[in-house]
Amino acid sequence: MPSNGEFVILTGRSNPKLAHSIGKILDVAVDEPISIFSDGEIRVRIKPNLRRRMVFIIQPTSTPVNDHIMELLFMIDAAKRASSSEVVAVIPYYGYGRQDRKELSRVPISSSVIATALVNAGADRILTLDIHSEQQEGFIPKPWDNIYGSYSILPEMQKRQLTNIVVAAPDKGGMLRATGYARILGCDSLALVYKKRDIMLNNVSNTLAMIGNVKDKNVVLIDDMIDTAGTIVNAANYIHTKGAKSIRVVATHGIFSGDAIQKINNSAIEEMIITDTIMQRQEVLNSPKIKVVSVAPLLAEAIRRIKTGESLSKDLIL
Amino acid sequence: MKIFSGSSNKPLAKKVAEVLNLDLSPIEIFVFPDGERRIQIQERVVDEDCIVVQTTATPVDQNYMELFFIVDGLKRSGAKSVTVVIPYLGYQRQDHIFRDGEAVSLDVIVHALESTGADKVIVFDLHSIKIPEVFKIPVTQLSALPIFAEKIREWGDGFLVSPDMGGLRRIKELSALLDGMDWIATVKDRDLNTGHIVINKIEGDVSKIKKRAFIVDDMIASGKTIVEAAKLLCEKGVEEIFVFATHAVFTKEAPKLLENSLVDKVFVTDSVFVPEEKQFYKLLILSVAEMVAGEIGQ
Repeated sequence: MPSNGEFVILTGRSNPKLAHSIGKILDVAVDEPISIFSDGEIRVRIKPNLRRRMVFIIQPTSTPVNDHIMELLFMIDAAKRASSSEVVAVIPYYGYGRQDRKELSRVPISSSVIATALVNAGADRILTLDIHSEQQEGFIPKPWDNIYGSYSILPEMQKRQLTNIVVAAPDKGGMLRATGYARILGCDSLALVYKKRDIMLNNVSNTLAMIGNVKDKNVVLIDDMIDTAGTIVNAANYIHTKGAKSIRVVATHGIFSGDAIQKINNSAIEEMIITDTIMQRQEVLNSPKIKVVSVAPLLAEAIRRIKTGESLSKDLIL
Repeated sequence: MKIFSGSSNKPLAKKVAEVLNLDLSPIEIFVFPDGERRIQIQERVVDEDCIVVQTTATPVDQNYMELFFIVDGLKRSGAKSVTVVIPYLGYQRQDHIFRDGEAVSLDVIVHALESTGADKVIVFDLHSIKIPEVFKIPVTQLSALPIFAEKIREWGDGFLVSPDMGGLRRIKELSALLDGMDWIATVKDRDLNTGHIVINKIEGDVSKIKKRAFIVDDMIASGKTIVEAAKLLCEKGVEEIFVFATHAVFTKEAPKLLENSLVDKVFVTDSVFVPEEKQFYKLLILSVAEMVAGEIGQ
């Protein structure tokens, strides 16, 4: 359906703070159509007129994951029925992104179920930020853009004017991400922390080993998300024993389940930089080691470009 | 045939399996700290007809997501067919747009369920008989009415009451099962904005009112409808009131409200699992396990 040139921003209950920051930058009002019926069912009531307007629905599907996904699905459905010209699901943090393949036998591919549901509900386009694996974009035959939090985090890192940097991956899966950051941070070399049992049959211990030299170096550990913080803290503490000068962590999504913050506070990690893709609770904001950088400018620019049709990759993807 | 249960109503699933002389098939539903669920089916299901029992009462979103993942997992693991038994269908009341800007939540659910590969759906006492039309896959609607009729026969005399005009079809059906027992309806008005319920009128022949009333509804949520209807009936001279409702959706306040009301007993089914905290002295739970087993056993 052709558009009349205007656009509307909707947000669920997952991260209204981020949505409003984006709305402020774009000078567009943000509607919050979600409320709850007395029996706990989600209720949607979109107030602004959506006829022939492009709609951006900003909703990271963070905890409680299932509720936030359902809110998003219902908002998409309501937007479509209200005659919007195009519905874009902006999902800064994509829940179930780690269940992107059959890691074990007889399991669902949960991420694919979600993606399909989004399209069936009426999403015309998906925009994510640092999705756990980009192959997931192939689950659906719709345009799917994935941008990177490094764009927002880099200026913050540059303030520290570090030299002698070694970029490190905290586990074997993080190497690709680490090399991505290595280029833009301008580092000397890479390091990889891995579990000995990853390379040895019959080893069930948690003993770590490392490829690379971190002695007297400023180490920057890279990950896409910090959940229980077990992996990152173990890797950081191990790197500390190998004589690193400083240890920082850079990650896009701060899930921080359970006692993650405590673990980080008590670890060899000097500083952790994360973004506000997930709305952070007071405990995180109070932590002396954690710095939260906003991705509102990045997402606002991406939304603006999707609306005008300009290239998303030019200058936004480093 | 293999029967799997989600986490919403394992007791019912177990009973259904028992009736069919089966054990529930093993399935792991691991819950991560952030609420994500990881499903793993722990038995071979290649070429098997699989049944999944998952009622979608509160927490409705969690229960639906779990169901989608279980069906997806079964299909990817080679199941010949997947039949989902959803005794209480959450979001069924949002089956059309009431006011501008709303979603048709039921549509979203049905499309999601169908795209995961479910082949057939079994439900109980839907709020509206038009709901099966939304599905592309076959839907079997079972009803607790025969179970209620059996119980009502134990008393013999009395009359049926539908606590709102929406339940007329149900009350007529039940009356037929009870050899044409007399019935009336009370008229319910609900303010769409405040949710306040008012019942102050009787629709039907007032001379049909006897000393013993059987109020019959599809579900009890807040309990306010039942309580208001009971008040009106007592004003009209009714002395004994029994309530029959298929789905015990029960908000937090409902148990207390019903216990303190003019109602003598409340019969519900186990379509929705009623935890101990929500059980009260006047409450009796009848099982639909045999009905479900009878349907899937065919």
